[in-house]
Parts: sequence; C-alpha cells; structure tokens
Amino acid sequence: MNFDTRGFSNLTRKATEMMLDTADVPNVLRSRLGEQHELTRAAGEMVASIETFVRELRSFDASAEPVVTDVYQDL
Amino acid sequence: MYIPEADFEYLIRTLSEARSRATELAVSIGSRLGGEHQLTQLANAAAFNIENTLREVRNAASDKQESAPGLADLQGALQSEFQPVTPTTSPIGLDPEHWLHAFVDELLARARVSGGVTFESAERLLQQRKDEYLRDFLIARKMYRTYPQLFPEIVDATRTGIAP
Repeated sequence: MNFDTRGFSNLTRKATEMMLDTADVPNVLRSRLGEQHELTRAAGEMVASIETFVRELRSFDASAEPVVTDVYQDL
Repeated sequence: MYIPEADFEYLIRTLSEARSRATELAVSIGSRLGGEHQLTQLANAAAFNIENTLREVRNAASDKQESAPGLADLQGALQSEFQPVTPTTSPIGLDPEHWLHAFVDELLARARVSGGVTFESAERLLQQRKDEYLRDFLIARKMYRTYPQLFPEIVDATRTGIAP
C-alpha cells in the first residue's frame, strides 16, 4: 500500500512542539497535588501517549525519507 | 493540596492549544494514511488523552472556584474596597478620562459579578479596549480627512509646524 508521505516533516515538527509544550504539565500537577493524585496520573498518561505518538511519527517520517547515497563511498 | 489560579490558567491554556494541535495532526495523518493506520490511532489516542486531562483540570478549576474558602468574604472585601471612584486627577498624573481608569473600573465590576479576576478575563477586556481605541482612532482620522474644517485647531497647528 502506498502512502502519501509528503508533509510529514512538518507534521513531525508540530507534534514535537506539542510534546515539548505539554511536557511540564505533569510536573506542575505533581508539585501541587502529589504523585498519586488522579489528575497527576491522567497527565502522566497523556504525556506518555504523546511521546509514543511522536516517536512513531519520527520513525515513520525517517523511513519515508529518500535514501541518500554516500557519493564518496566509492572514491 | 492547592493549585494557584495562575497554574490553572497555564494548564488550561497549554492543554487547549495542545488539544487543537493534536486534533489537527490526527486529521492530517488520517487523511494521508487512513483511519486504520497505527499512526492515526496513536494521534487519536494522544488527542483523547489531552482532552481527558483538560476536562479534569477544568473540573478541578471550577470545583475550586465553587468551594474556595472565604470567597464570599473576598467578594465582600472587593465590594467594600473598590467603591466607584469619583473621577479626579489621578495621583500618578493620569488624566481622569484616561482609558486606564475605565479599564480598572470595568475589571473590578466584572470581578464583583463573577467573584474573581483571571488572566484570561483581563486579557480579553484589554483586547476589547484596544479594539475600541483603534476603531475610534480610525473614525476620527477619517473625519479629519473628510471634514478638516471641523478641526481648525489641528489644521492651524499643522500649518505652523507644531502638529502632534
């Protein structure tokens, strides 16, 4: 199956920004409510799911990049 | 356990923006790869988790507002402390008709009604003031260009080179 992989670099960049922007949310809640609070746990799950998504997106984006041959390899 | 209002503001703003981005990403990826692709499902899961966290933070914020101890006392203090100000020359040298007076008065009036002032409400009100100022400025400029004879003092000042 062929996928349209154009623009995935841009999506990866946006997803990475989103991950960085939300990374501090669990820390804020943990410092205010404690580790065991329901909100802290929800935020932790949220960050984990964003990280998984970004990791897979990066992996997909990298695999979609055209293979660049090392021009100096045969010299 | 206590979350300051500024933290709630930060959390809600951050999560709202993240939710918009995640939804946009999920739609973009879904349109390229299809709804069944693993990446689309991960994007949807991330968006769902963000939405879930945002909802819980909002609930906590509204619970806090409803059950805040001494809120009635605080409101009473606001009402007694911030009586309508008689327009006089400000001690910091602002003209009585300066926009800041009206802005502060309106902000306090809203605080009395809603029981508090948030960064968002203050920002919104300030933006309204800016929009009103710009609208008035554009109208005044258009009037001056169309009917310069109505503003002889400005025309004279411009001719003598002391225009504002």
